[in-house]
Amino acid sequence: MSIEIKGVEKSFGDFRALKSIDLSIRDGEFVAILGPSGCGKTTLLRLLAGFERPTGGEVVIDGKVVASSSNSLPPEKRHIGMVFQNFALWPHMNVTEHVRFPIRNHKQTPPEVRKQEKARIDEVLQLVGLEKLAQRMPHELSGGQKQRVAIARAIAARPALLLMDEPLSSLDAMLRMDMRREIQSVHRTTGTAVVYVTHDQGEALAMADRIVVMKDGEIQQSGTPQDIYLRPQNEFVAQFVSKSNLIPGSWQEDIFVPQGENIAIGWAGLEVAESFRQSGHYPVRPDQLELGQPGPGMLRGVIANVQFQGKEFHYDVRTDRGQWEVISSSSFKLGEEVSIRLPQAERKTNVRYVSQV
Amino acid sequence: MNTRKLWMLLTAAAVLFFFVLPIARLVLLSVQGENGLSLGVYTELLEQKRFWDALWNTAIMVLGSTLLSLLLGTASAWLMAYTDIRWKKAMHLLILLCFILPSYVLTLSWSSFMGVQGPVAQILNVLDPGARPWSVYSMGGIIFVMGIHHFPLVYLFTVNVLKKISRDLEWAAGTGGAGRLKVLFKITLPMALPGITAGGLLVFLASLDNFGIPAFLGTPVNISVLSTLIYEEIIGFGPSAFARGASLSVVLGLIAIVGTLLQWLSVRKSKQGETYLPDEQPRYFLGRHRLWIMPLAWGSLLLMSVVPLLSMILLSLRRSYGGSLSLSNLTLDNYRYILLENASTWRSIQNSFMLSIAALMICLLIGTAIAYFRVRRPSKMNGLAELAISVPYTLPGIVFALSMILTWMEPLPGWNPGIYGTTTLLLIAYVCRFLILQIRSSVTAFSQIDPAVEEAASVSGAGTRRRWQSVLLPLILPGLLGGGLLVFLTALTELTVSALLYSSGSQTIGVTIFGFEQAGSTLYSTALSSLIVFLIFVGAGLLGLTQKMLRRRRGGRLS
Repeated sequence: MSIEIKGVEKSFGDFRALKSIDLSIRDGEFVAILGPSGCGKTTLLRLLAGFERPTGGEVVIDGKVVASSSNSLPPEKRHIGMVFQNFALWPHMNVTEHVRFPIRNHKQTPPEVRKQEKARIDEVLQLVGLEKLAQRMPHELSGGQKQRVAIARAIAARPALLLMDEPLSSLDAMLRMDMRREIQSVHRTTGTAVVYVTHDQGEALAMADRIVVMKDGEIQQSGTPQDIYLRPQNEFVAQFVSKSNLIPGSWQEDIFVPQGENIAIGWAGLEVAESFRQSGHYPVRPDQLELGQPGPGMLRGVIANVQFQGKEFHYDVRTDRGQWEVISSSSFKLGEEVSIRLPQAERKTNVRYVSQV
Repeated sequence: MNTRKLWMLLTAAAVLFFFVLPIARLVLLSVQGENGLSLGVYTELLEQKRFWDALWNTAIMVLGSTLLSLLLGTASAWLMAYTDIRWKKAMHLLILLCFILPSYVLTLSWSSFMGVQGPVAQILNVLDPGARPWSVYSMGGIIFVMGIHHFPLVYLFTVNVLKKISRDLEWAAGTGGAGRLKVLFKITLPMALPGITAGGLLVFLASLDNFGIPAFLGTPVNISVLSTLIYEEIIGFGPSAFARGASLSVVLGLIAIVGTLLQWLSVRKSKQGETYLPDEQPRYFLGRHRLWIMPLAWGSLLLMSVVPLLSMILLSLRRSYGGSLSLSNLTLDNYRYILLENASTWRSIQNSFMLSIAALMICLLIGTAIAYFRVRRPSKMNGLAELAISVPYTLPGIVFALSMILTWMEPLPGWNPGIYGTTTLLLIAYVCRFLILQIRSSVTAFSQIDPAVEEAASVSGAGTRRRWQSVLLPLILPGLLGGGLLVFLTALTELTVSALLYSSGSQTIGVTIFGFEQAGSTLYSTALSSLIVFLIFVGAGLLGLTQKMLRRRRGGRLS
């Protein structure tokens, strides 16, 4: 099963929800589509499901065009499974009936599943840990159990593609962590390709093989979680995914010199993407920065806010070039003057400092 | 895409034909002179004393009964929403009963209760021989019966608004130094005002529309209001009866439209504050006042509907109207007569049943389809269609009935389907008038279902038919049945539209009761009315049971 999204566009009236999206999903791949609300991620998912028809481009599944501006295969003929944000369980059916429904109704349900319906239902319920609740009605289930039913229903007919639309957003924080593991194990066991839409970068980083970051109907960056986290390609990805500070300064080839009075250091930036070089920024995650005693030639700031988080402190440090977020394990007081350093990339560039003295 | 456009065109044409054309015809006829447009009929109308009398009577009737409804409605709403009065559920049903009973049944109940042979007269007779009860056949009687028939509308609107007023607001005023009365008049009532106004305007419209009460109580003593005047004009069949009826109808219709617009505005205003959930807990404890408030509230409610109803049923069991009340005088003869001996009555019962079942089926089907598109694919087009479909129900029944006559004598130039006076025309009229009732309850049913529930069925491989069969229908059925029963009962007891559209052979229950009453056969009219009351109770009971059974599996809640 391969899915090709070729130049797909979608407009609602004057609003362009998707602007020429190209994306391919390999068999068994777990792809997370990550972005803030209104970025078009849900529209993209609904196009894949068949609830919306593209205004341009096409969606090709296994070499067959399933959606283009002129026609669109309805969802019931696509052999997909989908998990919805608010579970979307049927109030009048019990757990078993939920799981049985797609097995009986999907035209493409594999014959061996159809023949062994009862065994398949038991197998799926066991996979999500609901074997004891098979006869329960939705109103007799907790939030986490409801989501398990939704997942069981989505995978029961061995769909070729599993779509998930913010499936954890209506659960509380503790439950979300458990459900992440659950979803990972379902993915491992079934081997189905998953397209997972979320606005929570933690979920995307934790579970996905590949993350597609979207903003304003366009793909910003696509790559492995490490790629996205460690090597953001533009300001939006740097800020949205890894909460990076964008430190202003000037680039001299691969060396970056932060703006400021009497700065005598530079940061090596071989891996920093071109767009930052052009805008004169250096993306730094809060955990990369280090605070210490102020000294000559160093970037300096004042602690503007402190939040104790248990194993570390979250600081807002005000400098004359902006306010940065820093995570540090050492303790500083509000109003204390500190130096801000990036030890892993630091190089001495005495040139400037000397010339200015 | 093209078949969809074709469907849209067909639907638009049907809506125009069934809902807009009749009104256009009516207005056109009222301004048609011998050569071209003319306001001649209207000038003639304005010179008639009869018209001005009817207009004056209408104004007094509508204003008087609206005031009475407002008073009863707000008082009962306050008691139910804020105090710890007991047996609220039973009280709620008792309040609704006044409105659920067809207006002519309530009228007959009161006329038998207050009649010369009724219980009031007998008690008075014991106290003071020669004393006579107050006659309900008077303007006062009309206002009174109409007021108690319509007050549940004010109650329903107000009780919800009251429950949604945040308790904190009243406490804030209390801590600001306002006493209980001051809180009531400075905080509670002003905040409830949009709800009260909306309910009041609805009563205003219902009073304009009502034909049964003034026809039963006013016509015998020569009190005409606009709706009965139109009826008399059309039945009288003068040379220009239709034109005069049409012009009167336009006047009545215009008043109704203004009322509707005002009502719509005030509902919109009252909705703006709907951020709080209803607060079901009592805010005032009656304490020792319970001793007089409970008997007063319960006593008045029982006296309004149940006691007169019982006296009507008792009257229907009498051997003769003049006889004294004793066991030997009780008989089922009147029921035997109307059910077995009088072919025309039996025919009317059959007609009403067939008509209401057919109307129910058609409305259920078309109304639910329209509601689905309104909820799932709202657009300007189907919004306009819904507006057009609501017109026949908004207009007073007599006005709508006349427009149906005018249209269906020759719907399109050169085409006379020959259905005037038949049950077919009655069916078309019922469907056009009551379709909006089904649409509204189906819309409510659909909007309680998350679209994702349907989409989940879709991605699970279910096509359109299976989605409806396995998911949508089971979920909306309880709501659909409620709307269906409303259409069924309203059609079964309909009087106004049928009174103008029937002819011999297509009579309905309402028309037959009206006929008995006009002929002075009170025993038969009360017997048939009692039968209707029995049917309403059976229908409501069945609905309650079915809904309970359907909902039990889901734990009583849509989620």
